[in-house]
Amino acid sequence: MRNLITLSFRNPDLPPFSCEFAGRRRRVLDLPLIAWLTLIWVLLWSTLSWANVVTGVVVAVVVCLAFPLPQVDYGLRLHPWGILLFGGYLLYDMYTSGVKVTRQIFAGRPHRPAVIAVPLRCRSDLMLAATAVAVSNVPGGSVVEVRRATATLFLHVLDADRPEELDAARRSVWRLEELTVRAFGTPDEIGRVSGPPPSIEGDDDRREEA
Amino acid sequence: MTVWQQIADTAGAVLVFIGAAICLLGVVGMLRLPDVLSRSHAATKPQTLGLLLVLAGVALRLRGGMDVATLALIGFFQLLTGPVAAHLVARSAYRTGQIERCELLFDDLDAQLTEIQDAGPAQEPGRRPEDGREGGGEPGQEPGPAPGPSRS
Repeated sequence: MRNLITLSFRNPDLPPFSCEFAGRRRRVLDLPLIAWLTLIWVLLWSTLSWANVVTGVVVAVVVCLAFPLPQVDYGLRLHPWGILLFGGYLLYDMYTSGVKVTRQIFAGRPHRPAVIAVPLRCRSDLMLAATAVAVSNVPGGSVVEVRRATATLFLHVLDADRPEELDAARRSVWRLEELTVRAFGTPDEIGRVSGPPPSIEGDDDRREEA
Repeated sequence: MTVWQQIADTAGAVLVFIGAAICLLGVVGMLRLPDVLSRSHAATKPQTLGLLLVLAGVALRLRGGMDVATLALIGFFQLLTGPVAAHLVARSAYRTGQIERCELLFDDLDAQLTEIQDAGPAQEPGRRPEDGREGGGEPGQEPGPAPGPSRS
């Protein structure tokens, strides 16, 4: 007879930190996910008590069983120092470019916005999504479209009539990408973003035509 | 009430005020900027910064461990969900042609979409924004089956 619950260190097929429920349908629970959901539950109740923690675990397990997620390796690693740098840079960038947005809003002259393509170096879905979220949190560009096949972000930038502004927008995206991957990425991805940013010569040609 | 508590209270009040002022700035930006995409800049970014400042101010006044953690959770979700909403608005505005294309200096994405479409009559610049809908891309002319550029 099989065990009712198998932990991941007994069964190497399972992803790390998960346990498996044997039953008619096989269900795999991701323990970090349950811990995270429990934490949110406790924070929402604003009181740290045993009752809250226990009900939180129960609710998290029920939610995970009722709405199972596809089994993927997200490729998420946490690098504390990288996360600190990432958060610090995000706050700093939000603060400095808050001033910039104010100037753009109150500038008398009309804006010439543009949509630019910024190819990224990382390839994993999670890093792509995290970079897109980080980019749209800092002023400078808002994401219009994400193309997964080529890992390209399409940004709408205000004030595109000066080439140095465009370069600055691209560089800031690549900078954020590097910080994001250094905070959450796998070693493979970190190696990838340490390289130089992809070239964009094709874009430059087209821009001169325009 | 000690001096430190007074200082924290005052700093909290100042932070809440600054945050509210920044949110107001975002609203002014929404009124002044011309089209959807530019407005989404003004609608999302100052709001996020303003909300974070308001949360920091409230945290300075409350000073309780669990309260501060709850406020941090609010900020975290704002940072996580705001961009998704902004992206969806921008994406649907772009694809249904609700933007003033003639205002764009150049447009990398349009070139890629029309390349895939392989048919699309070139966008006539100088149309009025109301007409942009017909020229830009009706649901029927949407890129079709092939491209469906992947979602994030």
